[in-house]
Amino acid sequence: MPVFTKEVATELFGELWMRMIKETEFGPNLIESKMSILFVVDVPDITMFVDENGPVFDDEAKTRVPTVTMKMDGDTVHKFWLKQIFIPKALAMRQIKAKGPVGKVLQLLPLLKPGQAMYPEYCKKFNLPI
Amino acid sequence: MKYFDINLDLSEDDIALRDAARQFAEQEMRPVAKLLDRMSAEEGIAEDSPLWPFLKKAYSLGYHKILLPEYYGGLGLSPLQVNLVYEELGWGSFGLGVLLAVVSFPFYLICVTNNDEMIEKFVKPFCDCTDGSIRGCWAITEPGHGSDVIAVGEEYFESPKMKGDIRAKLEGEQWVINGQKSAWVSGGTIATHALLHIQIDPSKGFAGNGVCLVPLDLPGVSKGKPLEKIGQRDLNQGEIYFDDVRIPKDYMFVDPDFYVEMLDIILAAANLCMSCWSIGLSRAAFDEALSYTKERIQGGRPLIEHYTTKQRVFDMFARVETARAISRAAINLNLNISPPHVEYSLVAKTQCTEMAFKNTHDAIQLLGGNGLTKEYSAEKLFRDARSTLIEDGNNETLSRHGGHILMETYPRAPLDF
Repeated sequence: MPVFTKEVATELFGELWMRMIKETEFGPNLIESKMSILFVVDVPDITMFVDENGPVFDDEAKTRVPTVTMKMDGDTVHKFWLKQIFIPKALAMRQIKAKGPVGKVLQLLPLLKPGQAMYPEYCKKFNLPI
Repeated sequence: MKYFDINLDLSEDDIALRDAARQFAEQEMRPVAKLLDRMSAEEGIAEDSPLWPFLKKAYSLGYHKILLPEYYGGLGLSPLQVNLVYEELGWGSFGLGVLLAVVSFPFYLICVTNNDEMIEKFVKPFCDCTDGSIRGCWAITEPGHGSDVIAVGEEYFESPKMKGDIRAKLEGEQWVINGQKSAWVSGGTIATHALLHIQIDPSKGFAGNGVCLVPLDLPGVSKGKPLEKIGQRDLNQGEIYFDDVRIPKDYMFVDPDFYVEMLDIILAAANLCMSCWSIGLSRAAFDEALSYTKERIQGGRPLIEHYTTKQRVFDMFARVETARAISRAAINLNLNISPPHVEYSLVAKTQCTEMAFKNTHDAIQLLGGNGLTKEYSAEKLFRDARSTLIEDGNNETLSRHGGHILMETYPRAPLDF
């Protein structure tokens, strides 16, 4: 059984992305590096697009053109935000697939760290395993 | 010599980067490469060698951090820009082009690990370095092993009979390293840090390998003499020895669980670089042949006006354009997807190096006796090109590996995201 449902993931990441953009260096860094991200998630099936304006989901997200696309399943998303994934291994083993200039993908990883620091709070709020 | 780019969509930034690299290649790389080519390997790295001011200049302009992300101080170039710049560096000198890339390899892999502590400790100082004093190397080849270290898919690759010349053993929180790498480690005798491929679990043969970072100032590290060779003499290569060298546990980035898959990713990137420099090498041979045949009079008219010369010069031009098209297509694919489709990097490396070799051969043929002399660059280009057919995996081994990938994956499904 996947770690979160589509409804939980949509609410959780809707809040998380907005907080990251408004309260941390993530927002300014996105603007400075001219980055936008599309997360394509399997199980549950969710598509999230994020730029400096905040996240949009599913049909609206699919119409956007991102700098970097990352594809993974829901459980991997959860582990990724908990920093329980070793990125080189996840990429090599195809647990995470990425599309977009490799330099931008590498640049994205440190940008997401403020969100990884906040994520355990959301796990408590949404009763997700840590 | 400038060339017409059939990509009409190059941005102003793309063109500026390419032109700056061309100027650097012409004014800095060519003269130093020529000097180093005529020195002994020892003289090439001696205190008064022109290598050191060259590296200082290259680092001050940022050519050591082409592959690194902007966030850490790298140049953050797009895949096309990497191709454009590396072609120019390959035109200037294939060997020095290789050196300027391998110096960054350990630091590039650290970026992939996203390990804050190591990024602060190693990557940022490397990106900030402007004097050439921090230099990585890619230590994969071993004295007892040539291209079989990359023979993924062959039954012997995973056999315990494949005994590495260098082993790592975990003792508490440290890896203890013993053994040696071969004389073919590019930048090996002048490196300060190594990206080291090493056997961890001998029961799995080379599938039991790992990849780690080793600062080369640690106790127990020593280096051999720089290698004398026929081609790419401007590229320092040499052995590194490890005698009870201890590194922290987290310096091992890749363990046997995913070594085979990671090896493919590393090879895919390295082979793309080889293809880019090969375009430059092909073009250097074409440039020299074209200039010479316009000036050299035979039978009362310039060589270029002779029927067979026109044909040969056109074939050389066609190889440059073909190599560029293949290399750009492969880099556009494999530096835009993770994990990469390795077979396209292998196509680019094997085909571009073969075309570079043919072009340098044709350049000598067109220059005739002059092509055999040190007065012209054709003979150096030829020797450099010959090395590329073996470098980073000989082309036969790479083709076999490509065939193995095709056997398992062809036809690839379209990307599903």
